[in-house]
Amino acid sequence: MAKTKVKVPVKKQSFGVYMKRYWQLYLLLALPVIYLIVFKYVPMVYVQIAFKKYNITKSPWVMPWAKNNGMEYFIKAFSNPDFRRALRNTIGLNLLDLVIGFPIPIIFALILNELVFTRFKKVVQTITYMPHFLSWVIIYGLAIQLFAPSTGLVNMLITNLGGTAVPFLNDTAHWVGTYIFLGVWQSFGWNSIVYLAAIAGINSELYEAASVDGAGRFQKMWHITLPGIKPTIVILLIMAIGNILGSGFDRPFALQNNLVMDWAEVISTYVYRAGIKGLQFSLTTAVGLFQSVVGVIFLLGANALSRKLGERGLW
Amino acid sequence: MKKKVLSTLLAGMMVLSLAACGGETGTQQPAEQPAATTETKTEEPAAEEPKAEEPAAEPAAEAEPTGELVDGKFADTREITVEIYDRGNDGGSDPENNDYTRWIQQQMLEKHNVKVTFQKVPRWTEVDDINNLLAGGTAPDVCVTYSYPTIKTYADMGGVIDLRPYIDDYKADLPNLWNWLGESNLYWDSDPSDGTTWAIEAKLANMSRVVTYIRKDWLDALNLPLPTTKAEFHDALVAFKDNADTLLGKDAAKMVPYSVSYDVGWRAATLIESFIDPKISDKEYYVNGFDDRKLTQNGTKDAVKLLNEWYNEGLMWNDFAIYSSGDTTEDDMMKAGYVGAFTHNWDYPFRNGDDSIEANLKRNVGENAVFVACDPFEDKNGGHNKFQAGPIDRKVFFPSTNDEPLASMLYLDFISDPATIEYLQVGEEGVTHTVNEAGAYQIQAATGDAIQNSGMNIDYTITCNGLHLTSEDLTMNSLAYSYAGIDPQLVIDAYKIANTDARVGINVPVGDIEAEGGVGDTLSSKRDQVYDKAVSAPVADFDKVWDEGIADYLAAGGQAIIDERTAAFERVFGDADMIP
Repeated sequence: MAKTKVKVPVKKQSFGVYMKRYWQLYLLLALPVIYLIVFKYVPMVYVQIAFKKYNITKSPWVMPWAKNNGMEYFIKAFSNPDFRRALRNTIGLNLLDLVIGFPIPIIFALILNELVFTRFKKVVQTITYMPHFLSWVIIYGLAIQLFAPSTGLVNMLITNLGGTAVPFLNDTAHWVGTYIFLGVWQSFGWNSIVYLAAIAGINSELYEAASVDGAGRFQKMWHITLPGIKPTIVILLIMAIGNILGSGFDRPFALQNNLVMDWAEVISTYVYRAGIKGLQFSLTTAVGLFQSVVGVIFLLGANALSRKLGERGLW
Repeated sequence: MKKKVLSTLLAGMMVLSLAACGGETGTQQPAEQPAATTETKTEEPAAEEPKAEEPAAEPAAEAEPTGELVDGKFADTREITVEIYDRGNDGGSDPENNDYTRWIQQQMLEKHNVKVTFQKVPRWTEVDDINNLLAGGTAPDVCVTYSYPTIKTYADMGGVIDLRPYIDDYKADLPNLWNWLGESNLYWDSDPSDGTTWAIEAKLANMSRVVTYIRKDWLDALNLPLPTTKAEFHDALVAFKDNADTLLGKDAAKMVPYSVSYDVGWRAATLIESFIDPKISDKEYYVNGFDDRKLTQNGTKDAVKLLNEWYNEGLMWNDFAIYSSGDTTEDDMMKAGYVGAFTHNWDYPFRNGDDSIEANLKRNVGENAVFVACDPFEDKNGGHNKFQAGPIDRKVFFPSTNDEPLASMLYLDFISDPATIEYLQVGEEGVTHTVNEAGAYQIQAATGDAIQNSGMNIDYTITCNGLHLTSEDLTMNSLAYSYAGIDPQLVIDAYKIANTDARVGINVPVGDIEAEGGVGDTLSSKRDQVYDKAVSAPVADFDKVWDEGIADYLAAGGQAIIDERTAAFERVFGDADMIP
């Protein structure tokens, strides 16, 4: 990032002056702002349907209120065993993802950083972030080719070596493992890029000074690299925690099948099934709203906590 | 200066890209616009369903000017869009633009001065897709779906036009529609209390449903008879498995003696139905009949238990549950010759001309490799009990975004004309058929734009499913020859078996069951889960898995439907068990 130093006028200028001077920049800024308003804020009008009886032909302002002071659909959702199961699964799978999936890119970035042979390092980096660009549908196709109980390559290998086939995809416990594994495989290379960038920003004089003081490789890693990227880790962790109730749609949807549904149905797929396919728009808007609100609470909580512990936090 | 130009340019580009996005969202407008007109009418928030009347009010105002049509023709050209299934066949023709669409377009313009545009919807995910289109307000004017609950849900939200006024008021202009569908199909979905009709039921000309197929060449090679009982069928499966080395050689490990997909309720239907009492009362059948896969009928559990035993004996496809709807893996196994037997739509292996399962099997395995129909599942009376769905098929409806309901009705009338149906089904002589010495149409594989993507073009004849020619003799005679490259005897046998001991479904006019709204998809996906888990459970766990699954299904809305159906039946028919 090349920064050109501009003399910042200390005196406060009126908006008009700035406008005149930087109108091109404001013009460029206006468009993304309009985009956000049109596509992100205007649709929020429809958040109302969580509290109203949805009708496709009416504007949300005139739809009748739902029963129980508008809370009908929230009550309905929480008394629905399917929703509770989806909620449990979302939290469970996301926690596993967090516990297993979060540290791996960090460890990977640290290891990669220690490699001396730069060409090898670059090749490894490219290979590991490649899966990030594959759609989950394709990954599921690969998973079936590899892990299907009788025709999957891995299981054919196992059975040919005299073992019994492992139900990677058709037994709930194994499926959860496969789900986490594929998620980590798909994203760890990509996620490590941020950490590598952070590591690259650490002042090299620190390493030199440590070497002079006789620090070994692990000591340098522990006392310089890790503290150096700590702010990055914290920020990403806060965002990950904020996302504990959210989940992408493609990954669970592509990977789930009828045999593992008890553990594979998450909120996003439940919303799709019950809301879009089952046309219960009010119910699923309520679910979506709940999901967002809890997400924001988690995000704020994690942020406050990190600031209390002396980190910078998101803002 | 440079900066200025560049920034203006960039900004301009963004505006353009935004405008492009805006164009798409703009089409949503019509869906929202009626709000203004209907709002004013629904002052009193009366009982629960006041909206049912809104769309009815609209045509009443419009129904007046019968003078719109002169000799069945509009004075000015009207435009409608019509849904067409896209089957994505290998090497098929473009469903929106081929010989048949062009013929329909030309005829409609000539006869009614209506310009028709086709809009394709993927066949195997049609319910999802039509849902998305309806929600987005971009559905075609004439929509077709197999899912009545979807239509009903949208109707409840005011998203569907009540067809009753058009059916009744324009009866004189719709002679073919009335002749072909008659009151029974036109009014099938009418509300018994106020007559509102959200959909017209297409007619099933051929009610054959599901048949079990088995590899005749394998039976012959092992000196086995065509199975006529469950025990014989089981013996045959075991024999296939035990002799896999002889039958398949190096591919022995790939053998699947009996193949069933994730959709067990359909793909083992003949077996399941054989466990249901042939004399089941109309009431019991109806009460448990929300699910057409018969999950909650008495007897289904025993059938699945048997399947579960077969599964654990290694007689079935191990991986069935991980492949979902529309996946061709299983078809490919049949085509490659790994499958010994399967149950499917009565004409399934004959479909698609050169790409049919039978044709592929011959190519891949050898001239005598063939699937033949069999009837191996005896019921408790020794017959071969089957349940047919009744003379109804797809449901045709008009979303409220349809501005040309009359032109759309004329389209339905045109498409129900016996001459239209015959032309679409058999096509041009020399291109899609020849006339044989018996006077029957003999279908041949067509090429290019003349390819029929669906058997007998049923995707275009939306009010008719099944061969229906201008005379009945011709129909029966031609049915056997209607599958290109297939031995007519195979078709005749399958047809006979599909209609052996078949009980035809009847209409149970008790009005809407409120509990059925919005849960169709949740329940059908649950039903598949129950079936799949039960079939693949260890034998010792079967009862537990089945009972838990059913309990979950019932709790998710199944029980509410059963209760409401019971109450509705008793309200209309009193103590009677059978519908008079």
